[in-house]
Amino acid sequence: MPGATEYIIVGAILFALGAVGFLTRRNLIVMFLSTEVMFQGVVVNVVAFARFHHNLQGQAFALFLLVIAAVEAGLALGMIMLLFKRKRTLDVDVWSMMRG
Amino acid sequence: MNDMTPYILYSLFAAGAVAVYFRMPRAGESKLGVGAIFGIASLVGLLAVLHTRIAAPVDSRWYFYLFSTIAIAAAARVVTHPRPIWSAMYFILVVIAVAALLVLFGAEFVAIAVVIIYAGAILVTYLFVIMLAQQSGSPMYDRRAREPFAAVVAGFLITGVIAGKIAESPPALPSGVAQASDMILADSANAPELGNTLAIGNMVMTRYVVALEIAGALLLISMIGAIALSRKNVPSEAFDGSAMPLGQLGKEVDPY
Repeated sequence: MPGATEYIIVGAILFALGAVGFLTRRNLIVMFLSTEVMFQGVVVNVVAFARFHHNLQGQAFALFLLVIAAVEAGLALGMIMLLFKRKRTLDVDVWSMMRG
Repeated sequence: MNDMTPYILYSLFAAGAVAVYFRMPRAGESKLGVGAIFGIASLVGLLAVLHTRIAAPVDSRWYFYLFSTIAIAAAARVVTHPRPIWSAMYFILVVIAVAALLVLFGAEFVAIAVVIIYAGAILVTYLFVIMLAQQSGSPMYDRRAREPFAAVVAGFLITGVIAGKIAESPPALPSGVAQASDMILADSANAPELGNTLAIGNMVMTRYVVALEIAGALLLISMIGAIALSRKNVPSEAFDGSAMPLGQLGKEVDPY
């Protein structure tokens, strides 16, 4: 059974890669795919801590994380379709006027 | 594990940041080869550091190396690939590798749930939207990354702070935690007949039953919201008339 340290390092790397993708990509769909990569890093982390503490609370928390991920994906993709219908492009810079 | 480990990790993360920076889609001539070399070097170095300084010497660590390499490399391709459909495919690889890591860590039920929910449901929805909304060819916004340098520096800082700190002082159990009342593990000696799935089910249905009900209500609310959003009629403000109407793309242009 591997220790918790290496799992936390792998989770941190996945999280940071997802964050980089969310910041750099301009395609709305790929931006939200990057947030899913960040979710994967978090799931690895909470399960590692569950193992480390010898209980199941982290695994139960991972299940609720999956619920949040599903909710986020459904609503985000619905909104992306609305935005695409309006502008006919997935470029997020088209909506830069919403910065105010 | 000694005092040098965090600094070795920092330099490896810097190499990985350089790799991601060079692999980003960009204008002008690309240096994909440089990025690939830096990426492979940082992954190999990370494995070497994990093996020699951090990982516990157990048999299953070779599987851990294999699946964590797959997960990290595929995640890097998700964020750097210029074609969204390939990003989605690499994300499936990330999900499967993460599920394998969870199985190694004794979380079988969460692993299966991750595969079913992510690879089975969420990814299919993403692929639907990509097919429906993807423009023909490779549009400009997929070939130019936005501020790749600043983002890569931010990612390097996040990883460095978390992983460097963890490697510097590995987490130590506070006293008394091991005697917690809900110490139910599939392989623990005091409950050998309880599987991981049964134990999680017991826990979620008793201790976290309120959270479970709230999660169900949240799913219902988001389903209603998604239906309301998708039925809404919006006027099109397309800049030119050249864009094809929704759902017509695959009929005229080969979608990859």
